[in-house]
Amino acid sequence: MSATLLQDAAVGVDAPASRRRRRFGVRRLLGLAVPLFLLGLWQLVVSAQVFSLRLVPAPATVAEQLYAFFFGDPGFLVLAGVVPFTGAGFGHLASSLQLAATGWLLAVAVGVVVGLAVGLSRLARELLDPVLNALRAVPIFAWLPLALVWFGIGAGAARALIFVGALWPVLVAVGDATARVPRSHIETARMLGTPQRWMWRRVYLPSALPEVVTGLRLSLTLAWTVVIVGELSGTTSGVGAMMNSARESGRTDQVIVGILVFATVGLLADVVLRLATRRWVRWAST
Amino acid sequence: MSATTTGGTLAAVGLVKDFGDLRVLDGVELVAGPGEVLSVLGPSGCGKSTLLRVLAGFETATSGQVLLDGEPVTGPSPRRGMVAQAGGLFPWLSLRDNLAFGPAAQRRSRTQVAQTVEDLLQATGLDGFADALPKQLSGGMRQRAAIAQVLANRPPVLLLDEPFAALDAQTRLRMHEWLLALHADRPTTTVLVTHDVEEALLLGDRVCLLSNRPAQAVDLLDVPFGTGRGRAVLADPAFVRLKASVLERVLAA
Repeated sequence: MSATLLQDAAVGVDAPASRRRRRFGVRRLLGLAVPLFLLGLWQLVVSAQVFSLRLVPAPATVAEQLYAFFFGDPGFLVLAGVVPFTGAGFGHLASSLQLAATGWLLAVAVGVVVGLAVGLSRLARELLDPVLNALRAVPIFAWLPLALVWFGIGAGAARALIFVGALWPVLVAVGDATARVPRSHIETARMLGTPQRWMWRRVYLPSALPEVVTGLRLSLTLAWTVVIVGELSGTTSGVGAMMNSARESGRTDQVIVGILVFATVGLLADVVLRLATRRWVRWAST
Repeated sequence: MSATTTGGTLAAVGLVKDFGDLRVLDGVELVAGPGEVLSVLGPSGCGKSTLLRVLAGFETATSGQVLLDGEPVTGPSPRRGMVAQAGGLFPWLSLRDNLAFGPAAQRRSRTQVAQTVEDLLQATGLDGFADALPKQLSGGMRQRAAIAQVLANRPPVLLLDEPFAALDAQTRLRMHEWLLALHADRPTTTVLVTHDVEEALLLGDRVCLLSNRPAQAVDLLDVPFGTGRGRAVLADPAFVRLKASVLERVLAA
């Protein structure tokens, strides 16, 4: 009797999860509806010739340019008298990714260390909180002139800007999450006889991780956002640099290729980070 | 399953606890003997939880002492397991890992830990849920698991702070019977703090009555219903009379 009850209950634990997965699949497909609608609208605007093709290029032209950006002139495409990209896309992308990654990782390293100090030590919190809050209130791009003077036009300034932009979400999340580890968890662990040197890895870290991961995701998105500003301020390679020179030669189709690349890679980076950290935050998701 | 624990003797001697100017405990005296369940009953807000936190070692007494088998208590220890109304389990660990937490922290061998966890999963009727996260369990399951987590260290003393107060009445009654059965199997010395007279009388071998704040132990009652009691005793006229008279005294305290 009690055994069957338990088994039934065990099935009950699993069933909603699979139902949720199925519904999630349908939701995914629904998510494609809006982009498809926008694509149709775009084509409609182009076909109606409301704007000149120089201002609003056709979706097909952009698609061709997107292909050419990564793989060069395919030969079989009619690139309608425009000079195609020469297949430098991967190089530009790698350069942007490297910029974002180094700036972001630096921000994560500093953010975790300072965040821990602020979260775990009351003294550090009282010393640093006012300064950090003031600095945090400075718009990222207000740092641009200073970054240009200090690091010169190019990757150095861009990286400095990415660092500053990506720093705050990590720092705040780590500080907050470690300061707010529930006292009941700490007490339970001590009562169960946890040695002090275990507390960090077995209680503070797992308890803080979900909020920290949210901070990491936010900061990665910000890093990717700031890349474009850094690159627009004058780097020779990178997706932003490509867009800058496309703008100078009036190539809206190539500018839009840049936007598409930024959107796709930003989305992918977030998905990868989310999948990589999923098992740490599973318990906190509702 | 064999009885693996012999309970210790826990004594509070002249416990005084002040929070600033506020005196919460005013010379509380109590003794829980080996294997005994001592219910501590008192009006809401009288300092019952504070008393238990001092017994657990989470709070230091302003004066007086807590003694476990004659040794003074100086801080939280795996020898005094405490379970509160909620929040004992680590939400990021599976049930199995939660139960293994204490023994692993005590550096027990892998096989010993696994054996302890298996035993406790059986004893709590949660063997089908070893891999579930706490949030996937019902309230009653979670409280059984929280008690099991603490028992995994085989503490001589178990401290329960209103452990079933957040559960509905039927679940609570099931928990009471489960706890009685568990205690018959593992006679750990238990101090149960509660505001619920029925719970105090059903589970306790003796009941210690606390006064209003600042709390003092004002009376000590034997509960004469023997071991092996279950919910049937609730209908016993003697039990009903005792419950009514104790309730009067709590309300008058």
